[in-house]
Amino acid sequence: MRRFALEGVHVLDFAWVGVGPITTKYLADNGADVIRVESASRIDVLRLGPPWKDAQPGINRSQFYASFNTSKKSLSLDLSNPKARGLVLKLVPWADVVIESFTPKAMRNWGLDYQHLREIKPELVMLSTCLQGQTGPNALYPGFGQLMSALCGFYHISGYDNESAPTPPYGAYTDFIAPRFSATLVLAALDYKRRTGRGQYIDMAQYEAALHFLSPAVIDYFATGRVQGREGNLSHRHAPHGAYRCRDEDGQERWIAIAVANDDEWRAMLGVLGNPSCDERFVSMLGRLKNRDPLDQFVGALVRHHAAVELTERLQAAGVAAYPVQNCVDLHQDDNLAAFDFWHWLEHKEMGTTPYEGLQHKLSRTPGDLRTAAPMLGEHSDEILRRMLGLSIEEIEQLKQERVIF
Amino acid sequence: MKCELLNGFRMLDLSDERGALCGKIFADLGADVIKVEPPAGCSTRRIAPFLDDQASLDSSLYFLAYQAGKRSISLNLESADGRELLREMVKRSDFLLESFPVGYLDELGLGYEALARLNPRLIFTSITPFGDSGPGKNYSAADIVSWAAGGAMYLMGEPGKPPLQMSLPQAGLHAGAEAAVASLMAHYPREIEGLGQRVVVNMQACVVWTLMNEQAMPILHGEILKRTGVYVGTLDVQRKMVFRCRDGYISILIIGGPGAPSTIALIDWMSENGFSLDWMKSKDWRSWTPGILMKATDEDRVQIAELEERLEAFFMTMNKHDIYAEALRRRILLAPVSSVADVAADKQLAARDYFVRVEHDTLGRTLTFPGPFAKLSATPIGAPSRAPRLGEHNRDVYIDLLGLDTTQLARLTAIGAV
Repeated sequence: MRRFALEGVHVLDFAWVGVGPITTKYLADNGADVIRVESASRIDVLRLGPPWKDAQPGINRSQFYASFNTSKKSLSLDLSNPKARGLVLKLVPWADVVIESFTPKAMRNWGLDYQHLREIKPELVMLSTCLQGQTGPNALYPGFGQLMSALCGFYHISGYDNESAPTPPYGAYTDFIAPRFSATLVLAALDYKRRTGRGQYIDMAQYEAALHFLSPAVIDYFATGRVQGREGNLSHRHAPHGAYRCRDEDGQERWIAIAVANDDEWRAMLGVLGNPSCDERFVSMLGRLKNRDPLDQFVGALVRHHAAVELTERLQAAGVAAYPVQNCVDLHQDDNLAAFDFWHWLEHKEMGTTPYEGLQHKLSRTPGDLRTAAPMLGEHSDEILRRMLGLSIEEIEQLKQERVIF
Repeated sequence: MKCELLNGFRMLDLSDERGALCGKIFADLGADVIKVEPPAGCSTRRIAPFLDDQASLDSSLYFLAYQAGKRSISLNLESADGRELLREMVKRSDFLLESFPVGYLDELGLGYEALARLNPRLIFTSITPFGDSGPGKNYSAADIVSWAAGGAMYLMGEPGKPPLQMSLPQAGLHAGAEAAVASLMAHYPREIEGLGQRVVVNMQACVVWTLMNEQAMPILHGEILKRTGVYVGTLDVQRKMVFRCRDGYISILIIGGPGAPSTIALIDWMSENGFSLDWMKSKDWRSWTPGILMKATDEDRVQIAELEERLEAFFMTMNKHDIYAEALRRRILLAPVSSVADVAADKQLAARDYFVRVEHDTLGRTLTFPGPFAKLSATPIGAPSRAPRLGEHNRDVYIDLLGLDTTQLARLTAIGAV
């Protein structure tokens, strides 16, 4: 019986930045052998991005890179050099899966596109993921997830109302949608290949995948012309529903999110808050939905002097959905994330011990794990070239002098 | 045409809005997904808004979008006969997906241990708000509560105003898509070893994963980021990322260093139209990295403010479509803040023949859906079939699949098991 779900699966990973590396992280944390081919001529920009250990930049100091690249090995070479590409091609027969996330022309220019690789390995599963897809007039659009989140329509539905400016979700939001689709596709295609012997090429546009998180609004627009806008914390089926400010703690604002689904829960909530006298308009769900603004003021005043954590425990005990609005310090102290063993503090050669996000799911029989911290740039170059390609120490030294490998 | 990837595999989808997308993804990939609904119908049938604002069991937009491609049976798990039917179906299924309160199925004798005895190959996937073992394992969580619990809400909105969720709630979609990854992660070894397993998806953790590593900022940089409206950055340097234009908004982040070519192209475009200042033309953008280094000098701050002011004045002379078209031509990294109307009219999506039409005889019309989430060379994904009517496939499933006869089905229906 295997310890990890993907033991024996081999992945050659040309991806960089967010979506591709997060996809291969799923595979690596579940036991696949993943070699990140890092091109010194196009260094992964995340290696240059914060946060850094001790807030000091450095190519092996970025937690941004580290968090997305656990359990992988790093082979560093200069893909713009034909000799380097020759070495990489020798690894293709070993690979079950090749993943890349450059703008479309890069792999073609290097002769590393699917048409070439399938000649070496016909049953290969290859996934290309870029912002707008491998074809079409905007295929070469370079950009990052923040822009894709705006282009997809996520910014347009983020904010208090249509009169004020959108207030975007934090970060490159679609970078954290797309990998759930690409990992699903690779896993299904791998199993299909194992059963049928057929490999294939997968062209995943982050744009097209992420739009599945907006499907109801897309369908509505095409059918009725209605354009989903910014509605704050409005709900059509919960009232109250929103974030309410609690008592400040340590000089910091504290908020609690509450969602009340029916009248029983509403009465339970009022009970927790000492059964204050309540406006008649708020007695029924329909009345509360119709009078959201005064309802929010009423709830806001009731909640304002409570402590968020204690109030959460009391509301949940009474059957009301509530939780503190957690910031990142809170998340590291969150009992529920701790019980899920979410945080991992891993030892990295240069960074020492730093915090990594853990897995979002648990498998009972073959649980995944963050098997190793992220690799140093080129940490495994020698090992891969010697053991897998049979190069001698002298040959490797020569390639280093020619700046083919790093 | 049905996708071949998961053709021949069956999923019983007992989930609510938190799992709907998982079942939809499985159906897109060719699995036979049976939506197991209580006799009153799945809760997703009641999620507003409704098509044309006409509430019915078949017109919730959420339901239409995320139950498409599935079959539907009605089944009462609270009845002993209903539970027996589920056990029979489990013997004939590969996946079970559920999002009930933790422990509910165990109480009914339908927990993983019990069902795995009937079918050791079963992959039993539970979507939970806070995992199945911690102090909050029995907590309830609407989408906004998961968004708050996972840290995304804290970072969305303006200072001085409440933190926000998105106007199309997202936490359940992350959990549903994650459940697809997790279920297929268990599927791979199951097909080799013949043994299934229990899978638990944690919604709170799924939301934490949307934070782009912000969790490490307080630990490594000693700084807690806060919601900053249209700005992004740290206490030391904040840059605007949403600008007004004539008919809406544009998103752009001015970056130097590796992003310098885009910024230089932007300054050139501005200066052709008289909107740049001298220093902008002569600045060495390649070595300008306050955004990356998160540290700025007083001069940087003055220049950022000047540039942002000029840029917005420039954008205000054009509409977002024209700005985007010109930016593509000049290779400037920006994007329009698109509404669904803009997305529907997007030339790139049209060139890739993205949107698909799905006939809905239930509604007497054809609806347009987002198309396949990827293009696969050997096993293409087609358009889904419409979402099912409640119990539409009772006969197919109970008679053809389970082998009941019509009399038995009538009896089970009469006693409320179906």
